[in-house]
Amino acid sequence: MAETVPVSLTVNGRQRSIRVTADCTLLDALRDELGLTGTKECCRVGECGACTVSLDGRIVDSCLVLAAEADGCEVTTIEGVSPTGAPGPLQQAFLDAGAVQCGFCSPGLVMAARDLLARIPHPTQADIRLALAGNLCRCGCYGQIISAVLAAGNGLSAREELPRQKEAAR
Amino acid sequence: MTALVGQSPERSGGAGRVTGRHRYLGDIRVPGMLHAKLVTLDCARARIRSIDTSAARAVPGVALVMTAADLPQPVPRFGPQYRDRPVLATRETHYHGEPVAAVAAETLAAAQEAARLVRVDYEELPAVVTISAALAPDAPLVQDPALRAAGPLANTNVLREHRYGWGEIDAAVSDLVVEGSYSFPIVTHFAIERHGCIAAADPEGITIWSTIQHPYWLQRTIAELLGLPLARVRVIAPDPGGGFGGKQHAKYEPLAAFMALAAGRPIRLILTLEETFQAVRRNSAEVMVRTGFRADGTITFRDIEANYLLGAYADISDRVVGKGTYLACGPYRVPAGRIVARSILSHTPPSTAFRGFGAPQVIWAAESVLDEGARRLGFDPLELRLRNLVRRGECMVPGDKPADGDWRQSVLEAARLIGWDEPVPAGRGRGIAVGIKPGPTTGLSYAAVRFLADASVVMTAGTSDMGQGARTVFCQIAGEELGVSADRITLLMGDTAVVSYDQQTSASRSTVLMGNAVQRACRDIHAQVASLAARAYSLDESQIEVGGGVVRMPGRELSIGEVVRVGLGSLGGELVGIGECRKEGQKGHPLSGSAEFYEFNCTAVELAVDEETGEIEIARYATVSDVGKALNPSQVRGQDEGAAIQGLGHTLMEHYVLDSRGRICNLGAIDYRIPTSMDVPDRLVSAVVENGDGPGPYGSKGMSEGALLAVAPAVAAAVADATGAVIRDLPLTPERVWQALSQRPQTVPQLAATAVPQIPGVRNR
Amino acid sequence: MTGIGYERPQTLDEAVAILERYGPAARLLAGGTDLLAAEHDHALRDCVLVDIKRIPELRPAITESDRLVRVSADTAMTDIADDPELQLSLPALTAAAASVGTVQIRNRATLAGNICNASPAADTAPPLLAYGGHVVAHGPQGIRRIPMAEFFHAPGLTALARGELVTAIEIPVPAPPAGSAFGRLSRRRGADLATVSVAAVIDASGRTRLGLGAVGPTPLLVTDETGMLADRGIGEERRISLLIRMLGAARPISDVRSGREYRLRMLRVVAQRVLAAAMAQRAAAEAWRSEGGR
Repeated sequence: MAETVPVSLTVNGRQRSIRVTADCTLLDALRDELGLTGTKECCRVGECGACTVSLDGRIVDSCLVLAAEADGCEVTTIEGVSPTGAPGPLQQAFLDAGAVQCGFCSPGLVMAARDLLARIPHPTQADIRLALAGNLCRCGCYGQIISAVLAAGNGLSAREELPRQKEAAR
Repeated sequence: MTALVGQSPERSGGAGRVTGRHRYLGDIRVPGMLHAKLVTLDCARARIRSIDTSAARAVPGVALVMTAADLPQPVPRFGPQYRDRPVLATRETHYHGEPVAAVAAETLAAAQEAARLVRVDYEELPAVVTISAALAPDAPLVQDPALRAAGPLANTNVLREHRYGWGEIDAAVSDLVVEGSYSFPIVTHFAIERHGCIAAADPEGITIWSTIQHPYWLQRTIAELLGLPLARVRVIAPDPGGGFGGKQHAKYEPLAAFMALAAGRPIRLILTLEETFQAVRRNSAEVMVRTGFRADGTITFRDIEANYLLGAYADISDRVVGKGTYLACGPYRVPAGRIVARSILSHTPPSTAFRGFGAPQVIWAAESVLDEGARRLGFDPLELRLRNLVRRGECMVPGDKPADGDWRQSVLEAARLIGWDEPVPAGRGRGIAVGIKPGPTTGLSYAAVRFLADASVVMTAGTSDMGQGARTVFCQIAGEELGVSADRITLLMGDTAVVSYDQQTSASRSTVLMGNAVQRACRDIHAQVASLAARAYSLDESQIEVGGGVVRMPGRELSIGEVVRVGLGSLGGELVGIGECRKEGQKGHPLSGSAEFYEFNCTAVELAVDEETGEIEIARYATVSDVGKALNPSQVRGQDEGAAIQGLGHTLMEHYVLDSRGRICNLGAIDYRIPTSMDVPDRLVSAVVENGDGPGPYGSKGMSEGALLAVAPAVAAAVADATGAVIRDLPLTPERVWQALSQRPQTVPQLAATAVPQIPGVRNR
Repeated sequence: MTGIGYERPQTLDEAVAILERYGPAARLLAGGTDLLAAEHDHALRDCVLVDIKRIPELRPAITESDRLVRVSADTAMTDIADDPELQLSLPALTAAAASVGTVQIRNRATLAGNICNASPAADTAPPLLAYGGHVVAHGPQGIRRIPMAEFFHAPGLTALARGELVTAIEIPVPAPPAGSAFGRLSRRRGADLATVSVAAVIDASGRTRLGLGAVGPTPLLVTDETGMLADRGIGEERRISLLIRMLGAARPISDVRSGREYRLRMLRVVAQRVLAAAMAQRAAAEAWRSEGGR
């Protein structure tokens, strides 16, 4: 029988205690043990960002974190971003910009965008592209998503063109 | 506030998606469900000698281990075109990833453990995984000839050959003939939501939850396989998290259904991302194009041979080939045309529908050849397109539906957006290309609108909203017709027990076909409202006009809601309106029907190439589609720009890497690269041409595939313009571009200057 | 079911004891981004994951004293990439750390984990090799300081012995005027494993050390002791031919990401660009000094 470990963590401000196998990921614990299905599963190798959550104030791919590692930690999921289910200002910006097609990547993107705005309140287009590079959107909403985050961060309307920052020696 | 057509109200269902409240298939829990895992072999083709499931069955928590021997005999087969795919591999596997067994257990971990313990004794067999290998005279046959229709192809790997043509190719007189061979890679849909299903049987029938785009096709497939009446097969199809064609047809739902019957409990199967790569992909292709030109740039003939590599089972892919190549000669005046297109089976994962439906592959080649012609004639590639583009009402294929738009406008607008007339900045190149695709050739959609006593509305429509925003559009139509705001509409989709029939969600049809059905259902309501009003206000129906949410009568104008409230009286109740939109097939038509509309797009690109590394940097990108009317401009823009980015995927980075044994080397997200936020062009703009000339509500046409069609040839043309390197194989990875740069010829052959007459308006670049 | 255990030692000695007890079955878990991606593939079975994030000595910390930077084992790439002082003193390292994966990955992936995973394409290996320095390892026999140039043995194999774990990485800050830079090439602009990567460190004496990634079974270090490579006074042709000779140590393979020939040619392109950037930085540092700077 698989060894189980006790895990106590704070999820969206609430203390939760669960028992999971050692190899249970934080993603599986959130979705299956705690019923928080807003965080999505796709690649399971930390490439697509659909499973993005905030762990002790930093965004991570929850598929690459064991639930056991999160013992004693604070986790915020998409459900915690809008506890009543009503879209907050950032999420509304996504909707206003037309940045939601199938929506499967949206929770992860909201988490990543929220994290960016907390670190850089007025991001440039280059900041946004880099910050969201870990979230794949196959529907191809990137343009609208960038507009949404620009709007949320800068009070700009969609599609302002900002100078592209050239990279240094590659 | 009523969200009217032509405005961009918030995506219906968007709030649930951005807050994580929206439930996809994977978020559904059915009590008692078992978790399933597929067992596959690590090779492309194998003869199965025996399967030992004893160790697997001994794993605690395992409820069922199923092999082909546990299914009805002979093993049932299914497929939308041919019943060729077995529910589980029998005697032989035919592609890397074909399941030979499946496990169901209390937990996914137990199922995974058990799947690892299924012992398959097999012998690897030689596999054909390329077009040339599949066509070789001594090639092993992918499909048992007994399953094939009799005919000259039955003992080959050519499943079918499609031939189209008109005019006299050999009699064409040309000043220049350009010829080229092009290849298009194997790519996969990579929807962020993986394919999945839950099957639950009960004494009365079966319920299947699925990520399927076509619930009613699936219903039919399951009903036939299980011998059940349609009414006892319920398919619940939550809005998929992306489909792009890869979720159109049944994949593992039949297996889950049989497992549910055997286990007596619901079965849940969600594919891993890697398994989706082994379940769905686009046809790859090798396309040879010959095109004749007169010195004035007009096309004299086009001769096209296209070989498409299908997987081991046809799925819908032969239809993809036939339909995708039908307009291979392009939206042009082509006096003589010949198209030969072959569907070739191989020991690779089954290909299926994918946005563009067979057209991108052939457009890649045909538009590139046109560009080659422009270079050799010394013609502006824009001018070459304009010179040959058909006008509204002109036929592309003689006798078939003529051009249904003024496509010249789209081309001029794309050129304007990219700044075609401005000097090209140093170090950059420009390219332009057009794409055309036929819309649905048959169709049937029903919609129902229930107008309730308090002027709120419940609607049903069997379309699948997988991101294109069908929900929003249907609510807008209802809003426009009935004067009801979106927050007073409930739209039920994706449940065959409750929602009336819809043929399918594909070919960009839903705004037109289901949209018309919704509009007609609303007009059915209008007629009933007129009746109510006549009785309530003692008028003759001829004195009453209902439309746009209002009822106009002599001396007054009331909202529909008010009239209904009064008219229903103290018993209340509701009005029920039904709408049907039907497009019958045409006997004798090679596609079984003309297109309901055409999707036309022009794509223009300006880019720079780092000649030391081969990296492409797209500076400007413009895409323009002819859409009739953008019912929701924001969603239209999202579809076009999304299609462009998806097209940049196969243009710049996506391809399967197969080893010599036919195994896919780059399964999964780390080594199969799709565009990220960093890969989007700096300046990506889209625009639409709206002439109200579509067959859909308010003059709309279908759209959403057009902007993917011509991405590759536009980019490659720009690369050739910037560097002189002409590349005929996709994707244009940095390595491939670098190789082409190091091999490019020093000069590009040109027609003698005297052969090019001075024609007003022609810009020789 | 899968035979995976989980231990969370609270002290270094506990960790060492666990590693000794389980040997190769013990897998260190810091950031987990490499380890758990492999888990997905069921490559991890019958092993014990040793979570070292609660050990006080290993907690994220970047310190500098006497021109020696010390990065503790649990320090994540984000901490390194965003550290303003490190950006000035070890820019090739911060650039490499910033290139690892995505924001989500960088928030977890540790410097120690990156080198212990010992992928030939590890992004931080080229700058660590080029800067020099030591890997500090704690084991049953006590503490060892392993020179960086001796750390990488083979793909996935390092100099660490059974029972040893990395507690810190020490990196000397080149005395000014110095210049260093990092560059890489990948299949797309978005996050990707490196096709090739190069770090260049030019020290005050003009000696150049180049760290090369993804062009051999281990990351490589090649050094020009003569000072010619970084000397603008020497003709371009001579410098390039010297560079090409140095790069001759590279043994790239063809794999799913790239062909061998392309790797070889891109190694040269990237090395030239990185070298030029490092030279420019050093020249700027020299100019600043001669204008009366520190």
